[in-house]
Amino acid sequence: MRMPERHDLLEFLSRHFIWVVLAFTVVIFGLTINGYLGLANIANILITGSVLGVMVIGQALCLMARKLDLSAEGTVSLVAVVAAWLMLPYRETDLAQAGGLGVELDPLIVIPFILLLGAFIGFLNGFMIMKLNMNFFIVTLAMQLVLRGLALAISEGAIMPGTPAAFNWLGGGRVAGIPVSVIATIGLYLVFGFVMSRMQFGRKVYAVGANEDAARASGFSPARTVILVYTVSGFLAALAGWMLLGRLETSVPNLGIGLTLNVVAAAVIGGVSLKGGEGSIIGAFAGVLFLAMVNNALNLMNVDPLWVNAVRGLIILVALIIDAQKSRYRGRAAPQASADAQKAAAS
Amino acid sequence: MAEARKTRESDAVLLDMRGISKAYPGVQALEEADFAVRRGEIHGLVGKNGAGKSTLMGVLMGIRDADSGSVVMDGQELVDASPQTMLDAGISYVPQHINLLNTLTVAENILVGALPKNRFGLVDWKTTYADSQERLSRLGLRLDVRQLVEGLSVAERTMLAIAKALFNNARLIILDEPTAALSRVDIDLLFGFVRAQQEQGVAFIYISHHLEEVFEICDRVTVMRDGRIVGTREIEDIDVPVLIHMMVGGGVKEYERESTAGAQVAFEVRDLSRRGAYEDVSFALRQGEVVGVSGLQGSGVDELAQGLFGLERMGAGEAFVDGAAYRPDSPRAAFEAGVAYLPQDRHRYGLAPLRSVRENVTYSVLDRLVGRLGVLMRKDEQALTEEYIAKLGIVTPGPEQQTLLLSGGNQQKVVFAKLAATKPKVLILHEPTQGVDVQAKVDIFNIINDLSAQGVAIMIISSEVRELIGLCDRILVMYAGRVTHEFSRAAADMKPEDILLAIEGGAVDADA
Repeated sequence: MRMPERHDLLEFLSRHFIWVVLAFTVVIFGLTINGYLGLANIANILITGSVLGVMVIGQALCLMARKLDLSAEGTVSLVAVVAAWLMLPYRETDLAQAGGLGVELDPLIVIPFILLLGAFIGFLNGFMIMKLNMNFFIVTLAMQLVLRGLALAISEGAIMPGTPAAFNWLGGGRVAGIPVSVIATIGLYLVFGFVMSRMQFGRKVYAVGANEDAARASGFSPARTVILVYTVSGFLAALAGWMLLGRLETSVPNLGIGLTLNVVAAAVIGGVSLKGGEGSIIGAFAGVLFLAMVNNALNLMNVDPLWVNAVRGLIILVALIIDAQKSRYRGRAAPQASADAQKAAAS
Repeated sequence: MAEARKTRESDAVLLDMRGISKAYPGVQALEEADFAVRRGEIHGLVGKNGAGKSTLMGVLMGIRDADSGSVVMDGQELVDASPQTMLDAGISYVPQHINLLNTLTVAENILVGALPKNRFGLVDWKTTYADSQERLSRLGLRLDVRQLVEGLSVAERTMLAIAKALFNNARLIILDEPTAALSRVDIDLLFGFVRAQQEQGVAFIYISHHLEEVFEICDRVTVMRDGRIVGTREIEDIDVPVLIHMMVGGGVKEYERESTAGAQVAFEVRDLSRRGAYEDVSFALRQGEVVGVSGLQGSGVDELAQGLFGLERMGAGEAFVDGAAYRPDSPRAAFEAGVAYLPQDRHRYGLAPLRSVRENVTYSVLDRLVGRLGVLMRKDEQALTEEYIAKLGIVTPGPEQQTLLLSGGNQQKVVFAKLAATKPKVLILHEPTQGVDVQAKVDIFNIINDLSAQGVAIMIISSEVRELIGLCDRILVMYAGRVTHEFSRAAADMKPEDILLAIEGGAVDADA
């Protein structure tokens, strides 16, 4: 048995870094903020974290495949508006408030419809990127604009309050005192954690993200994999939109604006690299917890909202710096490690 | 008399490199290399891939640090070599793929960084064009300076790159495979220009695989092999066969494989043609047979390999695997038909570097490792990976090691394992020993041997003629898109000199 080398230690730290940070955060906030670790506040953190959490899964998949989905927050706002519009009774739009289309569809029809809508939007993204050879950054950015524009046009820029209770169950309901949204989010993390580590689909996503050409030469179809990844991302964004609307019970134009950067940040903080091919769902979960905890603490500490964005931005930058250093460090470690392996084999 | 000649020569020496050595982990890239260029001469530098030419030139350009040795230019030793000191000393490099600002005009390319300004601080175009035109005509180069560089032919771009070097006071210009993409007419144009500059006292180092051209334009030629200088000759004292002999060397064969060829044809290709790549290629591989295919860059060998594996279009014609029609539209289809391909560029097509040995080895056979609902069977995966780690002798701390942390030879074995796991009927290997150390080379030969003994038909595309002779039952040579020669162990005509001559496009005497 050889001694753990420096690069093994660093590799280990970089992979599990987020858990160390998370533990520190809990201790520091727990000691300094009154009531931070109280049940009510923990529930609060988890509830606000769950919408973010659902979206992070989709984004993490995209990042693992060395792509990015900037359209997800647009999907959130569009499906929320569409859902409210299809469910609420008709009402003359006045200054601040609008009514629905007047068809007053049952939530049981509307929910599958918006989930499919989200999946379809994701499919379109994937199709344009892989089949029409378009740049993922621009495609999803433009798509976000389209979706936001549609949401504003349909809602006429006004709020639509009063979504039905059955619809609100996912975002606002509780089972045995535990928020449904939290249960659902944790459930999704378990499912996708399994999918990414133990199923063929997950293996292909990592392979495509690590080296698309090699994945193709190994008999995979990168196009099929990436299109599926975007479809899943769209589906999850729609689910997040359903969850958020259910919690607010009111459709707000510009719902979810600025979420994207938080979502990407949570994934990257959790160890999902922007350079593709690595990271884990459980790590992304830790990233979500961290960000939700920090956001909550900023609230409780009454940090001037004008400063909150600066703090968040700083956290994101630090996460990106660590991500960039990781690959730089690797470039130096690789020859050393191979020399070590040769030596170990020779002895 | 001899004395007089010697002094004249030492006066004439422009560049003198002495005792240059350079080692990389596991490889001695240069060993005590002495290399000298006279004023105003065109000096050929030849040798197989990996002979040390690029390392030597890298030292000369200041992009590689030599472990020992000295570089003297014009009687002055160049210490502290950096690209800038070498440029300042008048040494310039013109690469095979010319680096110019393609979307700008010829004039802008010439004067870039020093465009004349008028009194408003804007570019003075009139002076720019007049100035650059005047500079070019001084060199006897007729080009419209208002033309965009992207509109120039490859030969014109090469000449423009040489001209730019001369404007920067270059006195020694390294030309790296300048004719690889040129027609005969363009070659004449380029050579005319190079000779004209030579008459003005400029010296050139001419690197090429095309030996005929070396004889056409060079005054002297230096041959490298395995990191050493084999010798330098006046061009009139030497001919192509002697030059090839110097390149190949007379050492013993490194490896001699027993033939395992069976009787049944496993892979057959009939009249395969793809425009601009290869034409009327036909051959057959028997089970357990190992066939080498060799050719220069642009001879169609690389394209043929990619076409046969579905990475590119296969083109017109037919192919058969075990008698069944074969026309892959993707690597997946190729795998399913029983054809596997080891890519030349393992970093691009071979490995997912961030992922583990286990994942890389099993990529090609995931379909066989999934249970219900697409769940991977971890135990089978583990067993398969450990089987191949043992079989191929992959040196790794374990199956979970990231492949990027393995040495080149072990990475190559991981790719081999991925292919072998598909149990192919036909295996196409593209430069399988490139960039691997000596021990890994021998291991790879053994793997080839084992697979062929199991009846796999193996096609090895390689420029390592000596290795091919040791491994192959037959060797096909491609030139300009066609299979031009076949050598075989049965006919006992696998002589390195003949094969290299055929690769260069020469005619091989049947009873030589």
